[in-house]
Amino acid sequence: MHRRRRLAAGAAAVLITLTAASACSSGDSGDKGGSSTEDASVINVTIKGDTVEPNGKRYDVSRNQTVEFVIDADEAGEIHIHSKPEQEIEYAAGTSTHKVSFDKPGIFAVESHALEKTIVELEVR
Amino acid sequence: MDLFAHGVGGAKDLPIPAEYAIAGACAALAVSFTVLALAWRTPRFNTGSPARPAAPLLTEIVDSPWFRGLVRAWGFSFFLYVAAAGVFGKDLAINPIFGVFFVLLWVGVVPMSLAFGPFYKAISPVRTINWALARLSGSDPDVGLRTYPERLGYWPAALGLFAFVWFELVYPFNAELGPLRLWCAIYVGVMLIGGALFGNRFYEHADPFEVLSTLVGHLSVWGREQGRVVLRSPLANLDLVPVRPGLLAVGSVLLGSTAFDSYKGSNHWTRFIQTTDMNPNWVNLAGLVLFVAAVGLLFAGATMLTGIHDVMRRRELPAEFAHSLIPIVVGYVVAHYLSYLVEYGQQTVILLSDPLSNGSNLLGTGNRAINYWLSYHPTFLAMTKVAGVIVGHVLAVVAAHDRAVRLLPKRHQLTGQLSLLVVMVGFTIGGLALLFSS
Repeated sequence: MHRRRRLAAGAAAVLITLTAASACSSGDSGDKGGSSTEDASVINVTIKGDTVEPNGKRYDVSRNQTVEFVIDADEAGEIHIHSKPEQEIEYAAGTSTHKVSFDKPGIFAVESHALEKTIVELEVR
Repeated sequence: MDLFAHGVGGAKDLPIPAEYAIAGACAALAVSFTVLALAWRTPRFNTGSPARPAAPLLTEIVDSPWFRGLVRAWGFSFFLYVAAAGVFGKDLAINPIFGVFFVLLWVGVVPMSLAFGPFYKAISPVRTINWALARLSGSDPDVGLRTYPERLGYWPAALGLFAFVWFELVYPFNAELGPLRLWCAIYVGVMLIGGALFGNRFYEHADPFEVLSTLVGHLSVWGREQGRVVLRSPLANLDLVPVRPGLLAVGSVLLGSTAFDSYKGSNHWTRFIQTTDMNPNWVNLAGLVLFVAAVGLLFAGATMLTGIHDVMRRRELPAEFAHSLIPIVVGYVVAHYLSYLVEYGQQTVILLSDPLSNGSNLLGTGNRAINYWLSYHPTFLAMTKVAGVIVGHVLAVVAAHDRAVRLLPKRHQLTGQLSLLVVMVGFTIGGLALLFSS
């Protein structure tokens, strides 16, 4: 008696979970992550005093796509891209343009170490 | 290559695809309730039948003084080598001590313990120093001035682990040599004083790295029975984790900090921390404490929500079930640190050839290049991550189930597990959500 009840309970549980599973998996099948990103091949960066714009925004980038950083700065400095391997952009005062690209997928922070801030994040796929 | 900026890290994995997260969550749900409904009703692990003995030669080898000495000497040489880089090396990101500390020690100890059991205990430099000091003074390294207070349990290790994750995730100057050196000096100092006071028993309970390694080692196949090396299923091995005060605290720090590390990497958090007027270090500390406390409180609450025997005390239940957090922790470590371990681990091995940053190639690894296979295969990486989380979840559910049928009165065995099951499913879905939105 007990055993039969257990079997029934088990069967019910499996049924419920399988239904749930199939219901789940028939849902959304978009292949992108949950973060909202913006596609960009030109990224404008403004560095004035100890403020920087944009402030950590994430951009979508394709592998081997050329990304152009247009940097408007009030004094010379450098920004670091934590890609694999890392890259560095040295910029002069005024407006300058720098091209970079990435051969590996991943999320790479672009940082100003002098300001200790993430300027943008690049989601490369 | 930029070698002078950051210590370790910066690059992150892509988020896992939505359908992987959803399929993983569904699998977790399905397996959980199937286990609850169909699994055994009497305890199965370690019920008296002897474990399968390993080849007698193996016991002979691992217990032989030369083998122990060799392993210990290897561990201590490595310690001295890295310590030299810490003391005489330069404060540059190419100093290998950063990678050794954050990658090889913290993450690398997990696969080593999964493969070999209590790995850090065998190589522990602080045990070696304690042994040498005891030798010199003609005393026994196992015996200290006092006996270790039982009620302290794993609490000192939980504190030490928290000190580590605070340094890793909150402290802003963790990429500089001075603070790292100080952290390590305090660690070694506390360990030596503790060892002198309480003997080797202190390390079993208070050395954060040894406790992490030994607990993870309970998911290996290696065990001991009456001194002999035996083979056990990881679940039976896990069941033998000693129930001591602070076990849940250790699990909460490990799981909560890993989850917080993942959350901290989200774009949402980056932007929040850069725009808030609050001090980012305090915000990060609050976040870390919140994640750790949430894990601990949810788990403790869930284990106590059951009917119990009259002779049992409800407050003892969280520690009784806390071993089931260990597979979840290991699953999360796989999910969050696999590419980090593989790629920064390789970088660390390369940098180890030049400990003083003077261009030398002492180990012959200096000219190697990092193999980025894992980075080039994000689908494989994402699948491995989800698999890690799900396998950890399943092991945890089974471990908790067996403990429940062992401890709880018959009529509460099913309902008594429900709350913990819900919390575990919540952890797993939360973990997948973090991987999805990173």
